[in-house]
Amino acid sequence: MAKNKELEQSRTIVAEENGSRPEAKTPVAPEETPAKEPAPQPPGGKERRFRQTDLPAHFIERRKHPRIQTEPPPPPAPPRFADYGPIIGQPELDEIAFLAKLLQGKTVKMVNSTAVGGGVAEILNRLIPLMNELQIPTKWEVITGGNDFYEVTKGFHNALHGGEYNLTQTIKDIFLSYNEQNRQRMQFPEDVVIIHDPQPAGLVRSKKDANGKWIWRCHIDLSNPHSDVWNFLKPMVEQYDATIFSSPAFTRQLSVPQYLFYPSIDPLSEKNKELEESFINKVCDDFGIDRSRPILTQISRFDRLKDPVGVIEAYKLVKKYVDCQLVLAGGGATDDPEGAVVLQEVMDAAGDDPDVIILNLPPWSALEINALQRASTIIIQKSLKEGFGLTVTEGLWKEKPVVAGAVGGIPTQVIHKLTGVLVHSVEGCAYQIRYLLTHPEFAVQLGKNGKEHAKENFLITVNLKRWLLLFQLMLGMARPSKTI
Amino acid sequence: MATAPQLPSTRERAAQTPFYFNSASHLLRIGREKATNLQELLEAIRNCPEASIFQHTFQTLEEHHFIKEGFSNDFSHWTFAACNEVELAERLAAIDIREFISIAALRERIIHVMESYLQKNPRAAARPAMEPFYLMAADLVVVPTPYVARNLSEFADGMRKVSVHSIYYHFIDARLRLKLNTNDFSVWLEQELDLARPAAKLNEIDIYTATLEGVRRSILRIIEPEIGRA
Repeated sequence: MAKNKELEQSRTIVAEENGSRPEAKTPVAPEETPAKEPAPQPPGGKERRFRQTDLPAHFIERRKHPRIQTEPPPPPAPPRFADYGPIIGQPELDEIAFLAKLLQGKTVKMVNSTAVGGGVAEILNRLIPLMNELQIPTKWEVITGGNDFYEVTKGFHNALHGGEYNLTQTIKDIFLSYNEQNRQRMQFPEDVVIIHDPQPAGLVRSKKDANGKWIWRCHIDLSNPHSDVWNFLKPMVEQYDATIFSSPAFTRQLSVPQYLFYPSIDPLSEKNKELEESFINKVCDDFGIDRSRPILTQISRFDRLKDPVGVIEAYKLVKKYVDCQLVLAGGGATDDPEGAVVLQEVMDAAGDDPDVIILNLPPWSALEINALQRASTIIIQKSLKEGFGLTVTEGLWKEKPVVAGAVGGIPTQVIHKLTGVLVHSVEGCAYQIRYLLTHPEFAVQLGKNGKEHAKENFLITVNLKRWLLLFQLMLGMARPSKTI
Repeated sequence: MATAPQLPSTRERAAQTPFYFNSASHLLRIGREKATNLQELLEAIRNCPEASIFQHTFQTLEEHHFIKEGFSNDFSHWTFAACNEVELAERLAAIDIREFISIAALRERIIHVMESYLQKNPRAAARPAMEPFYLMAADLVVVPTPYVARNLSEFADGMRKVSVHSIYYHFIDARLRLKLNTNDFSVWLEQELDLARPAAKLNEIDIYTATLEGVRRSILRIIEPEIGRA
């Protein structure tokens, strides 16, 4: 693709050099205040020493000094609805268009707490242009608050994931007063109002003065929340007409209907779009990856819950029998002190093995991650705890055999031995990798099934279709079939 | 040797009632029931709404339509993958939804299979599963498509163009609507075009060992030779 070649030329490649991040324009975000992020340091901040091998000097040099992009690329234009036709098929596209046609003119508002960064903003940046293109006018508003509010909501976030928390009256007052300020500032004349996550949950007080249907979309795992925080939020949540969760495992008992919307990936995003083979080769070359030998890859931030050290142990067990390389690529080690500690642990575990390639990538590495996944023989996600695990979805979409820990939303995606393999230990992980490397026909079948599974359940077009169906049901425009 | 494509006869038999290809989209509702062992699953199956039984037997076939090896229904898969009860998984997998025209009867069969297994293997009942089973329910919304068939050629043309969800809706979901051990396609072919034999052949297509794309191909293989004859 010529587009990729232009991109390659336009991007600065400077090894081991810091660069500031220019502000990237997002296509529809209501506010743009992207924080400047430091460019990544080379792993561990010091050069790894590799033991003597037969590897060509070229690979060794690149593994010591990977060529990492220091500047973000300009953001691409968001895709148009019709662009998805070749991916999901015209009949499926027609069905979505039909559902949308019935809703034309109905208005929707999405509210969340941040315009940039984070998965919710990423999803809304893709979803809202598509809804507007389908003539369902959709607005996106972001709540505002002082540092005290965001400290409280960060505390809530951790507490809702099971962390310790001391919920005082002052904290409740801060949360409620900022929600009230935003409520006074906003208007809600839309037919459907969707509030994302706990931060703006209190806006539901406006529901009694509005005619629309209100939906709370929870993106986080509420399976084990701090009881005080949840008991504070629950009465707000139960005022909504419906709630949406990403996994049945993430829900609580509620008096209002709960729907399941799996998180989704955009097959036309930088992270997931088709790439030219020449670009994949270039990325592998930049990072010193040998495409003539099997490549095992785990993409995740340097976090103990992703078990990168366990992945290295599994790789070492595999390596006794099958010559292969391991790529551990992720971020979070530059701006997160704990991430840096974990990265060092990973470096120590890798030791002097030159075939363990550790890449601490900046947040603007979507194309490179895409290329790494496409170059891989097997995608690993050996998490010990996980949200939904979108890196697994990305691997499935790229038709790769996936070996993943049976945690969080992963078993929804990886149907054991049908769309991938689930593992529960280092030894199990190693065994399954060896099996796949020595039974390529089985690996190919898993990859094919995995791609279909992702196409059927985890693409943004499926997500869009779910929204349209929910709007129709909520607005009384459709009734469930009387089949049963 | 290449053969000329068979053109539809200009006097092809026309149906009195056209076949309107519909499709179905579904939304998943999260149910209240959850099982962490086989005894809890049995209780959940006894008490859950019919929409949950439908979801985990009928609807799951659509969601996993691309798999042709080893996937039958969610109960069987969980029993195998999370509980490691291979015999029970096999027996649950052998429950063929084509034999049922009501969810109540299907639920009874699942309960019977589980009860008889747990009577023989009482220790399996409370053994913790590796992951819980969450019961879901599907809300189905019927979506019209632009495809309408007034004769067999148009029917074949629609069959080539509709999504697999449409095939699922008419070929599998239809059984519960019709309350018959057949499907919308066969009923229309027999009643409107007097094609009893192809209609019966359609019912022999195995939905458990073929993907929905495979089902589409099989249907076309059966009806295409009839074009021009009908």
